[in-house]
Amino acid sequence: MDLFLQTLLNGLLIGGVIATFTIAFQLTFGVLHVIDFAVGGWVVLGGYLGYYVTALLGLDGFVAIPLAFVLFGALGYLIGPVLYNVRNSRTARPELMALALTFGLFTLLRGGMLTAWGFNTRNVTSMLSGESLAVGPVIVPLIRVAAAVFAVAIAGGLFLFLYRTRYGLAIRATAENRHNAALMGVNIRRLSANVYGLYAGITAMAGVLMGAIYSVNPEVGLRYTLFAFFVAVLAGLGSVGGAVVAALMLGVIEAFVSTYVGSSYSLLAIFATLFVVLLASPKGILRRGL
Amino acid sequence: MAAQPMKSRWPGLLLLAVILVVLALMPLLVNNYWLRVATGALMWAGLACSWNMLGGYAGYINFGHSAFFGLGAYVTAFLMNDPFGLPFLATIPAGMMVTAVFAVIIGAPTLRLRGAYFAIATWAFAEVLIQFASAMDFTGGIGGIGLPPYLNERFFYYAMFGTAALTYLVAWALFERSRFGLKVKALRDHEPAAEAMGINTALVKLQTFVLSAVTASVFGAIFAYWVTFINPKSVFGGDITDQMVVMVLLGGLGTLWGPAIGGVTLFVVNRLIWMHWGDTAFYIAILGAAIVLVVLFLPNGIAGLFVRRKANALEKVAEKLIGGGGER
Amino acid sequence: MASFNRSFSRRRFLGGSALAVTAGALGMPFVRTARAQAATFKAGVITSLSGENILGGNLTKQGYDLWAEAINAKGGVEVAGEKFKVDMFYGDDQSNPATGADAAERLIVQNEVDVLFGPYTSGSTIAVQPICQKYQVPMISGSAESPNVWKAKPEFNFGIIPSVDTTSGLSLGVLAKTSNPGAKTVAVISVNEPFSKETGEGFRDGVKAAGLELVAYELVPPEGDLTPVISKIAALKPDVVAVGGHEEILINVVKTSKSLNYRPKALIMHYGITNPAFAQALGADADGVTGVVVWLPTVTYKDDVFGTAKEFSEMATKKLGGEPDYTAAGCAASGLVLGDALKRLGKKPALTPEDRVALKDAIAETDIQTFYGPIKFEKDGPHYHDNVQPVPVLVQIQGGKVVAVGPKEAAAADYIYPLPAWK
Repeated sequence: MDLFLQTLLNGLLIGGVIATFTIAFQLTFGVLHVIDFAVGGWVVLGGYLGYYVTALLGLDGFVAIPLAFVLFGALGYLIGPVLYNVRNSRTARPELMALALTFGLFTLLRGGMLTAWGFNTRNVTSMLSGESLAVGPVIVPLIRVAAAVFAVAIAGGLFLFLYRTRYGLAIRATAENRHNAALMGVNIRRLSANVYGLYAGITAMAGVLMGAIYSVNPEVGLRYTLFAFFVAVLAGLGSVGGAVVAALMLGVIEAFVSTYVGSSYSLLAIFATLFVVLLASPKGILRRGL
Repeated sequence: MAAQPMKSRWPGLLLLAVILVVLALMPLLVNNYWLRVATGALMWAGLACSWNMLGGYAGYINFGHSAFFGLGAYVTAFLMNDPFGLPFLATIPAGMMVTAVFAVIIGAPTLRLRGAYFAIATWAFAEVLIQFASAMDFTGGIGGIGLPPYLNERFFYYAMFGTAALTYLVAWALFERSRFGLKVKALRDHEPAAEAMGINTALVKLQTFVLSAVTASVFGAIFAYWVTFINPKSVFGGDITDQMVVMVLLGGLGTLWGPAIGGVTLFVVNRLIWMHWGDTAFYIAILGAAIVLVVLFLPNGIAGLFVRRKANALEKVAEKLIGGGGER
Repeated sequence: MASFNRSFSRRRFLGGSALAVTAGALGMPFVRTARAQAATFKAGVITSLSGENILGGNLTKQGYDLWAEAINAKGGVEVAGEKFKVDMFYGDDQSNPATGADAAERLIVQNEVDVLFGPYTSGSTIAVQPICQKYQVPMISGSAESPNVWKAKPEFNFGIIPSVDTTSGLSLGVLAKTSNPGAKTVAVISVNEPFSKETGEGFRDGVKAAGLELVAYELVPPEGDLTPVISKIAALKPDVVAVGGHEEILINVVKTSKSLNYRPKALIMHYGITNPAFAQALGADADGVTGVVVWLPTVTYKDDVFGTAKEFSEMATKKLGGEPDYTAAGCAASGLVLGDALKRLGKKPALTPEDRVALKDAIAETDIQTFYGPIKFEKDGPHYHDNVQPVPVLVQIQGGKVVAVGPKEAAAADYIYPLPAWK
């Protein structure tokens, strides 16, 4: 029973961790209709920022979180319009060209980071690293709780922003129908740049946490891209609420299969689940947008 | 069918003949290293064409195409080793059959999905195969399987050349010159309309999917025998599919020669960059920058530079697609 | 419509310029590759300079380079009274066996190397072996540790590091004897990737041989999260947790265990913990981790190129910014094997195809003492052409430093066992 509870907690926390870098990814898809291959690149960039803040400045890793938002948010804001132009260009398949662009960006980032920062695996330390709390028979790793809280805060914050502000209304309108939104006076190009910047900033913040929970090197990015894609599709592309549900679902499946069936089958089970869910419910589990 | 521009066919045919002659004589013209690069380039040109059958002509983006390449490779590796010890050529039809069965089982349900959902469902399928091949013992697990080495570079060159040539011939005959090709393009351009016209879209999609999968499996079989060693990541890996997609986009999506141009260009450029800056990881950054530049400045692929008429036709289709805003 | 045409032609123009720039950038390198004039021995290095095995790939490259620099500083390899420098050529296998084979063919055909230094990964090594056979070019591997490498009896391939099945298994016996009170139960975590899995299997098979009890064997995918596995093992309370994995996973195992407040009496890993980046990444949390090595800077061996193991270590530390581990040492020692064989062969560069076959035979007869230890290749059996001379040494990270703790005759410090609870 103790192991069961621990496994459940482990699963929910893995879900929370995955959710941190999928929520904003969904927003971007909803608005820009771009599947961003570079999501793992933003995570890794955030992780490295966290490492340099701790290793060079000797500060707590959490200091890097707001820094990551500002720095990489600004970078994303600059890339956003380019992505928008490609996505809305008059080519045969603009959505594919946009995907190829993000793939190129991801490759460029990976090569640049390997060249500039080398290949050693780095760690982000923070006040919560390695700390835990015993609740009855269950051990609660605090750094993962921080990630889950972060995910909830991001989801909640986005929800308030989208449903309680005029700008949020514009974003939702754009996600629903960009032509009508444009007719209503929304500057879609600028809005897309803002959304991409917001997404890059949030994902890089999640990256700092990933560096603190796991570790970071330039080659781990693809792993995050893989999970972001899969969670997004399981949730239904563009669905922010669905992303949280899907991430938790995958986390719990991974934990239980790992513990009770065999670790070597955990990812097999996750991918098979995704495959089956897609066939049963082709638009994701929640079947709705933003 | 639109009238074919007949007047300008001769220069094209002449060019094709010259290319074929050069390719046929390649082993006499270059050393073994460049022959190896040429073998790889032909493989990628063929793989890109096989991906383009579904991705370019039918408009279904398969992110898990490496699954079929890997199936071909694994069936060959499995059957050439003990206890079977079959000769190489006997393993190819077996690989094609296994792949076809998988393609039908996987294709029938997933082809109901659209756009990104189809793309990621196929990716998930490829990941399932990686995990499966890694976890099982009969596949050699993560350690992979070796094949009996056959040290004849010309055999592999001509095997890839022949298979690639056949692939293009089939693609040309089926997609550019037959009613089947018109059906496929019709469903790409507007699936409900195609269905309304009496096209059995489900069947046509599945046929294209199986053809594309089986073609990839043949290349996988030759690849396994050529490299003499495979493991789950080296034949099922997502980077194999990524490369095919980028090659097709670079060359020109939905065109006959685009995948060949893109495949050869990207593979050879990759090898050149790798040769000259290969002692650091910087070449990865150069490769990324090259992809970004192509997307920004050559959005219709290299083929689009030469074939204006076709690009315009595709652009009209594109406008329709954008008009939908992705909410179909 | 007019504006559409204009934008199209502008795009065509830009496209043309992009192509031109790319072509120019690609044309440039041909200027760079003008051949050096003086006669030199040419050695090709195939290893993972990108992709998932990039860390190990660079360690091997650094090791091979250390030898090249050391021997060139002495004027080169001495053959029949004359000295010839060594030129190094590199090929990245992109952590992919097929590219490794491409790299081998390129180095042999394009760069006309006389000899190859082998890849970091066993998969690439196996894919390169047939190419070596085809061109009859010997290859010395300073790193590949999988027993699969030697199964096919590769005629032209030689290995400096003992295959992992001979070391990881034995190490548990050493641990059982060194620990006090003696460890009894073991759980093994094996990461499902090449090398890591073989290490884990070595540990698993070594448990029985050492008279211990195996309570769990967990094969985990490299992309998976480790909390479920660690929780499961924590519930079984084994004395020893043995991990077969590469550096990133090893770091994650320690971090995840600490975040779940679980610490076994001993945590043993094989490769990677002696890499300075490991202790650097984990800080104080790295303390107490046990590892298995076949070489340490404190061993008493020496040779006339690098001097003592300590001198080698100092030189490497200056060049690499951290103490070398046994991969770098094994790779540097590969160069010593080559130098010795060339000297005995007595043929000047460039080697003819017949010379290269003779070089292969000369390497097979190697019997030398180096800073790395004695080197001699097996002539038969499952470890054909592998150097199984080195014996595994148990090391532990103590105060951020790697120290030998077992067996008794090699120990430089007491083994800290059981490990204290996390503070």
